[in-house]
Amino acid sequence: MFDLIRRRLLTALPTLAAVIILSFILMRVAPGGPFDGERPLDPQTREALMSAYGLDKPLHEQITLYITNLLRGDFGPSLVYRDFTVTDLIARGLPVSLTLGGLALLLALILGLGAGLTTAARAGSRIDHGIMLGATLLTALPSFVVGPLLALLFGLWTGWLPVSGWGDGDARHMILPVIALALPAAGAIAKLARAGLAEVLGQDHIRMARARGMRWSRILIVHALRPALIPVASYLGPAAAGMLTGAVVIETVFALPGLGRYFVQGALNRDYPLVLGVVTLYAGLIILFNLLADLAYGWLDPRARL
Amino acid sequence: MTLLVAEGLTIVIGGRQIVHGIDFFIEAGRSLALVGASGSGKSQTCLAPFGLSAATVTGSFLFDDVELVGAGEEKLRHIRGRDIGFVFQQPLTALTPHLTIGAQLREAWTQAGAQRPSRAEMAAALDRVGLDRPGERLDQYPHRLSGGQRQRALIAMAIAHKPRLLVADEPTTALDAVLRTEIMALLRRLTVEQGMAMLLVSHELATVAHHADDVAVLHDGRIVESGPARQILGAPKSDYARALIAASPRLDGPAPILGPAGAPLIEARDVAVSFARPGWRSGRLEAVAGVDLDIAEGEAVAIVGGSGSGKSTLARAIARLGPIDSGEVRWRGAPLPSRKSMRPHNRAGLQPVFQDPVASLDPLWRVRDIVAEPLRQLRPDLVDAAVAARVEKMLAEVGLDPALANRRPSGLSGGQAQRVAIARALSPDPALLLLDEATSALDVLVAGTILDLLGELQRRRGLSILMITHDLAVARRLCHRIVVMDAGMIVEEGPTERLIETPRHEVTRRLVEASR
Repeated sequence: MFDLIRRRLLTALPTLAAVIILSFILMRVAPGGPFDGERPLDPQTREALMSAYGLDKPLHEQITLYITNLLRGDFGPSLVYRDFTVTDLIARGLPVSLTLGGLALLLALILGLGAGLTTAARAGSRIDHGIMLGATLLTALPSFVVGPLLALLFGLWTGWLPVSGWGDGDARHMILPVIALALPAAGAIAKLARAGLAEVLGQDHIRMARARGMRWSRILIVHALRPALIPVASYLGPAAAGMLTGAVVIETVFALPGLGRYFVQGALNRDYPLVLGVVTLYAGLIILFNLLADLAYGWLDPRARL
Repeated sequence: MTLLVAEGLTIVIGGRQIVHGIDFFIEAGRSLALVGASGSGKSQTCLAPFGLSAATVTGSFLFDDVELVGAGEEKLRHIRGRDIGFVFQQPLTALTPHLTIGAQLREAWTQAGAQRPSRAEMAAALDRVGLDRPGERLDQYPHRLSGGQRQRALIAMAIAHKPRLLVADEPTTALDAVLRTEIMALLRRLTVEQGMAMLLVSHELATVAHHADDVAVLHDGRIVESGPARQILGAPKSDYARALIAASPRLDGPAPILGPAGAPLIEARDVAVSFARPGWRSGRLEAVAGVDLDIAEGEAVAIVGGSGSGKSTLARAIARLGPIDSGEVRWRGAPLPSRKSMRPHNRAGLQPVFQDPVASLDPLWRVRDIVAEPLRQLRPDLVDAAVAARVEKMLAEVGLDPALANRRPSGLSGGQAQRVAIARALSPDPALLLLDEATSALDVLVAGTILDLLGELQRRRGLSILMITHDLAVARRLCHRIVVMDAGMIVEEGPTERLIETPRHEVTRRLVEASR
C-alpha cells in the first residue's frame, strides 16, 4: 500500500507540472488580457502595470518564475482583486467548496448505496423498477438543471429554503446546493451498486453462505456488499472530481462564495494567477481523490492488494 | 436411527420434471452416494429439498422426523444452519473473497449458536482437515490458497458447527486425481470421527463406491439400483450401473489396442517457460524448466501431472499456442517457426481440443461454420462445395448426425459439443492432435465414448496425439507412452504399461495410487 502511495506521488509531480504549463499557455493564447476593460487604459499606465506584474517578460521566463514561486507556496497576486493575493482568495473560497462537495458526496453515497441495496434485495419488484427509473432520470439530469428546478420549487414557490448566498455557513443555505450537486451522482451510484450486487449475488460464495443458513440481511452486508462496491469505488475518484467541477456551476446558480465563482470570474477577467492557482489546486485534489479511490479498491478486494 | 428418509421425492424445475418419485434413506452416521450422469437429477435431489434451488419439490423428505417438503424458507434456513453442512463442487469460488479464512471459519463455527472459537481451536480444526501451516492460514485471504487447500478449508467450515448430515455435491470433480483421492478419504474419515451421516453426489461410481457405505444409481430422475457399495461395484444388476463401471477408465483390465508408431514428428529440446509474478513483485515464476519431449508419427503421448505441474504450459509452448522462453521444437526434422510466424500450413498440421467444449465453440455460430472455419483459414485452395462435403464427412467421422450441422452450440449436449470440437480440429487433416484435458469436463459415460472415438481415429488415421491429463487411467486408455511432470520438470517417462506397473518416481507412485 505504501508502495502505491509512493508511486502515485511520484507520477503526480509531472502530471501537475504538465497541467500548470498547459493552462499557462492556454490562458495566454486566449484573446484579451487582464487590463482590457471597457474603458481602455492609457498606454503608459498599461506598460507600468504589465511590467509590475512581470507580464512583459518572455513566456518561458514567466512560467519558470511562476513555478518557482509555487514551490514556495506563493500563488502570486490577483490581477483583478488588487488588494488580495490568490492565496487569500483560495483560503476564502476553498472551505465553502469543500463543505459543499464533501456533503454532496456523502449524501450521494448514502442515497445511492441505500437505493442500490434496496433494489438488489428486492430485484424484479415494483420498488426495484421504480427506484431504478428514478436513478436513470437523475443521471440524465445535470445539476445545472436540477439546481434551478429545486430553487424554483423549494425556494421561490414554497419559500421554505433560501436560494442564494452562503449566509455565513448557515445550514439552511447549504441544503439546496448540496442536494442539487448530489442527485446526479446518487443516481449513478445507485445504478452501479445495484448492478454490482446483482452480479455478486449470483456467485458461488453467496450460495455457500445461503447453504450455511445465514440470514439474508447478513449475506447482503457481510458477503455481498464489499465486492459489489468495486465498480462504485472506481467511479468515486472521477465523481469526487466532478463534485468540484460541478460545484463551479452550482456555486454560480446559488451565488455561493466558493472557489468556483472565483474561477469563473478569474477566467472572464483573464486574471492569470487566479485561474492558474485554482486549476493547480483542482488538479492536486483530483489526483488525491483518485489515489483514495485506489486505496478503497484495495480494501474492497484483497486480490488487488499488492 | 434413520436420519433422512425420502419417499416419492419429485422435483420439477421450470415445468420439467427431473426427479420422478425416488425413495432412499440414510441411517445416522452412515453414508449414501447418489451416482449418475449429468442431468440425472442427482444435484437437485440434494439441494432442492433444503431450499437451495428454485425447484418445486413434492413427496416427502423427512430429516430427523421433520418434514422439509413444504417447509418455509425461514425454517429450512434454520435447519441448514444447525444440522447440515454443505460442500460444493467449485472450491475456487465458494469462499467469500474479501474475508480471511479465519473470519469465515469463525462465522461457520458460530452459525448454530456455539461459543466464539479461540484461534487455537480454529487452527486445530484446519489441521484436522489436513491444511498445512493452519495458524498462518487463518489470516490469509482465499486467493492465497490453491484449489485443494480451499476445498479443505471449506470442509473445515462445513463441519465446524458439528452438523448431523454432510451434503457433498461433487466435492472432488474440480480437483486433480491425487487430490480427489485425498479429499474423499478425508470426508470418509471425518464422518466416522464425528458420527456424521453423509449424502454424497458424484458421477464417478468407481471412485465414490470406495468411500460410501451405500450407493444409489440415478438415471433420468429414477433410481435404477441401490444397495451396499461393495455389492453394486462388484456385481451390478442393472445395465446402467454396469455401463457406468465399464466406462470409468481403470488401471487394470485389458490393455487397449494402439496403432504403430513411425518416424519422429516432434522433437522438442530444452523447452523453458516462465511467467512474470503477478503484481509488482519482482522475479519470474518458472513453469517449465528445460524439458525434452519427442513424439513419433502415429504415437500417442500423455503428459500427466497435478495442477500447477507445468503440463499444459509445456504442451502449449510446443504447439506454439503459448509463450516460450527458450528451447527448440523441430517438426518432421525442420525447425517449427515461433508463435507469431506460424503459417497456415504449420497450424493445419497441429490442432488442439480443449477441456470445456461449450466454452471453446462460438455460441453464435452454427456447427457447419464452426467445423468449416479451419478449412477456410488453413486450406484456401478448397472451393465452397469441397468445404461443405468435408464438413459432412468430418461430422460423420466423429459420429454426429449430419442434421446437427445447422444447430448452434447451445443446442448440443456436452458430448456432442466435444465431438464438434474434435471434428473442427480434424478438418484440416492434422498430423498431431493436442488434447488439453479434453474429457475431464464430461460425464463418465460420455467421456468413455469420446475416448473410444479418439482411439479409433488415432488408429484409422495414424494420428499423433499429445494428451494433457491429471488422470493416469485416462492416459492409459489412449496412449503409448506417458510422461510424468512435477514442478516444471519431467520426473519419469516410459511406455504406459511399464510406468503403471513399476513406477519409479514418488510422484508417479502417488498418481498410480490415486487412479486405483
